[in-house]
Amino acid sequence: MHNRASLILSSAVALFAAWGLVSAMSWPLKAKLFPLVVGIPLLCLAIAEIIYSLRDKSTEPPRDIPADVERHRSLVAAGWILAFFAAIVLLGFDIAVAVFVFLYLVIQGKERWIFSAIFAAATWALFYGLFDRLLHLPFPAGWLLELLGFG
Amino acid sequence: MLDAFLQGLLLVLQWKALAFMLFGVALGFWVGLLPGLGGATTLALMLPFVYTMQPAEAFAFLLGMHSVVTTTGDITSILFGVPGEATTAAIILDGHAMAKKGQAGRALGAALTASLIGALIGAAALALAIPVVRPLVLTFGSPELFMLAIVGLAFIASLSAQGARGMVRGFLAGGLGLMLAMIGQDPQAGVARYTGDSLYLSQGLDLVPVLVGLFAIPEIIELVVRGTSIAGGLPSQRVSSGALEGVKDAFRHIGLTLRCSLIGTFIGIMPGLGGSVAQWLAYGHASQSAKTPAEREGFGKGDVRGVLGPGAACNSKEGGALIPTIAFGVPGSTAMAILLGAFFLLGLVPGPDMLSQHLALTFSMVWTIVIANVVTVAVCFLLLNRLAALTTVRVSLLVPVVLVLVFVGSYTANSQYADIVVTLVFGVVGWLMVRAGWARAPLVLGLVLGKIAENYLYISVDRYAAAWLGRPVVVVLLVCAVAVIAYPAIQGWRAKRAARA
Amino acid sequence: MKNIFFLVLLCVAPLAAAQPYAGKTVTIIVGYKPGGGYDATARLIAQHLPKYLPGKPTVIVQNMPGANSIIAVNHLYNIAKPDGLTLGTFNRNMPIAQLTGVKGVKFDLTKFAWVGSAASETTVLAIRTDLPYKTFEELRKAPKPVVIGATGPGANTYDFPLLLKELLGANLKIVTGYSSSADIMLAVERGEVDGRAGSWSSLLPFIERKLVRPVVRARLRESGAERLPSDESFAPNPRAKAILALRSAPEAVARPYVMPPRTPESLLRLMREAFASTLKDPAVMAQAAKAKLELNYLPGDEALQVLREVLSQPKEMVDDFGKYVKFGE
Repeated sequence: MHNRASLILSSAVALFAAWGLVSAMSWPLKAKLFPLVVGIPLLCLAIAEIIYSLRDKSTEPPRDIPADVERHRSLVAAGWILAFFAAIVLLGFDIAVAVFVFLYLVIQGKERWIFSAIFAAATWALFYGLFDRLLHLPFPAGWLLELLGFG
Repeated sequence: MLDAFLQGLLLVLQWKALAFMLFGVALGFWVGLLPGLGGATTLALMLPFVYTMQPAEAFAFLLGMHSVVTTTGDITSILFGVPGEATTAAIILDGHAMAKKGQAGRALGAALTASLIGALIGAAALALAIPVVRPLVLTFGSPELFMLAIVGLAFIASLSAQGARGMVRGFLAGGLGLMLAMIGQDPQAGVARYTGDSLYLSQGLDLVPVLVGLFAIPEIIELVVRGTSIAGGLPSQRVSSGALEGVKDAFRHIGLTLRCSLIGTFIGIMPGLGGSVAQWLAYGHASQSAKTPAEREGFGKGDVRGVLGPGAACNSKEGGALIPTIAFGVPGSTAMAILLGAFFLLGLVPGPDMLSQHLALTFSMVWTIVIANVVTVAVCFLLLNRLAALTTVRVSLLVPVVLVLVFVGSYTANSQYADIVVTLVFGVVGWLMVRAGWARAPLVLGLVLGKIAENYLYISVDRYAAAWLGRPVVVVLLVCAVAVIAYPAIQGWRAKRAARA
Repeated sequence: MKNIFFLVLLCVAPLAAAQPYAGKTVTIIVGYKPGGGYDATARLIAQHLPKYLPGKPTVIVQNMPGANSIIAVNHLYNIAKPDGLTLGTFNRNMPIAQLTGVKGVKFDLTKFAWVGSAASETTVLAIRTDLPYKTFEELRKAPKPVVIGATGPGANTYDFPLLLKELLGANLKIVTGYSSSADIMLAVERGEVDGRAGSWSSLLPFIERKLVRPVVRARLRESGAERLPSDESFAPNPRAKAILALRSAPEAVARPYVMPPRTPESLLRLMREAFASTLKDPAVMAQAAKAKLELNYLPGDEALQVLREVLSQPKEMVDDFGKYVKFGE
């Protein structure tokens, strides 16, 4: 995992550096100097790291959680994070906050319904009271709501 | 001058000013603690209230609020691994690691003590520097600032992991940070660099969403994966007992604490370097104090020195940053820019007047910083047990609340969904970096210093052709930069020789 | 029972119509981060505007920085609703962005419901007092180049001296890359640069302190700066004069305030009156003077007129202009 992640990252950096260098070619000197000075060594280092990662055969020390369980849970966590973002965009911040906290507690946290509902309501109240009422920081309504005419 | 010094104290101790300061402290306490609230945004929100106040009261309020934000921001960083403020990200590396080992109390004790010492040093610097501040700041021209940025970038070597491969990865991260810093419209030719078709990117990447993504998202994912509380399932009794140990740590390493305070103050004084640099340089310097490579490895896994360094530097830089703001009207960070707004609102003009005619007012600011920090640290120590106990709360409750704060924090800076997208993208990058064993600190350093280095280099060359390379301070700084890069290499080489002997 | 209900409704309805803002929140969108001049002006206005709006609503400020205000203007044009509850203020050089066809511009400034401008500011070039040059003529004949610090293309710190150099032959060397105009002033004190261009009000404290001396101003005759010669008075030909005038034109609308397009006429009128009254309020003027914020009211129609003139320039003029001036800060 160690080397695979490093391989992914260094390949991404190499691609980014290459793209950066190619884009910079057409710029006037003053604009392209720094990108070139940084980009060329960056590309070399990235390639070096790619080679290192491919040749390094050492394995990772065993961790307390088996690798496949870890991968599964990481994906689940990422899924929740993305779902929250989608909820914010579609439903607007305040609804998304209440809904997300409630669903997360019930589904992922396996808490009791009543407790989850109260906790979600409390979190929503904190969010609304602090950011909307007290600080007057505006939040847009979600796309879905706008579409349906509630925005 | 002495009477202005005492007069300043009297100005602060008037009951109205004191009340406003305490109110500001209470406000700043929560602003720093909650990752969704930025110190700068809240300062801006408070500005309208300042219109009707007297200058001493206004600054007691604003500074009282602002100077405690980094202290409580440290608390969030340590306990949750989420940067409470952009300026408290470095302390996550070792502070949160300690919390995960069940040493939250010790980490908090160390951070609070270091913050207090840092704040006192910063305030003392502000007070003592007043007679010499103008010549001091005027000696540091663009060439010197460029070299300072280079010294900062040299710390990438210290912040990287051990060994040749560690260095490669460290410089990879640093180089990536530097390239990312180039995004935006360049000030020389006006070319839009690396912005694609996006309007959002045309002024460059905003630091806060990047930091939150790099540090907070991987932590949250790990919390879900591990399933236990942050403190790994340890009972709250054990977790909070270490506070006194943390305080002792600060004094055990008093040399380091003082040095990092001075680094923070110095960076704060230099205008144009920004507010986030000091903590990383202090962290880099702290990791250099490790005497053996084995000790170096311990950094990032819970070495208390990694808490002391950034803790002290963040607070000391506040006092330092006031110096160019008051003496020249040049703000070193967004928060200072807003504070400048307060100056104008109250009819004051930053400049020589503040150091002569309004000297007592300037000293009152010094006293405000001192008193506000003392009060905050005292309150935090009283609450320490409760705070440390938060690391024993079960993760299913913590994750959603932290996520809400993280997303709100990303969004409210610029009212852009794109900021949240940036957080998510860098969340992936940060997660990969943790898995791959890449240090994240160099990336931040590159991102923060990249533009500064480029701009000051062009200004120096434009203005002085090659002559600036010979300026004395420039040469000194160049030697420092070389030393900073060479030090870990020499250390490693010496250790290998000792092992062979 | 039903009759009483209707009666009450009949009495309340006109009251509600006369108080369209009762219980509502008005948002002023600022295309900049907190702390700058645009933001400070907006917050000052936000504090006093409720007094003059029927129903005394809450007025809040929302910062939407990004792309030098283009993001805020796009939002105001395409997303904000024309219900009288949203105002916006943005970079005064926005007409230049629209004129030169900057990528990402999704608006037509003339279609906004113009409330007015809260200030008009002129740009001035000032150089260190210890330099031997006292007038612009001397600057043209200077034996050594005078170093002017700037932040980057698109800002008046850069554009103004650039035009003075390219079109009027002033012997200037422009060094750019400073992070803010305050940084440039620091460089002036250090002797690293010899002067800077900027708005009259931002340079005034330094002029009063005798650190720098103003030598030439742009077209607008702001009070205090009228006695300075204008850049156009040195123009050697009509082309130069036109380019200089075009650069200066947006400065008459230095703090533009608009409402989204298709805002109902009645609401626009209410807001215009409230805006005018706020800017003429003695308390506001006193606070502005204390904060060294230059405020003077320009009615929406006149602001719109200025913008129409800028945006109706012929293509050759725009291309010529675009050779020197890019859109930026």
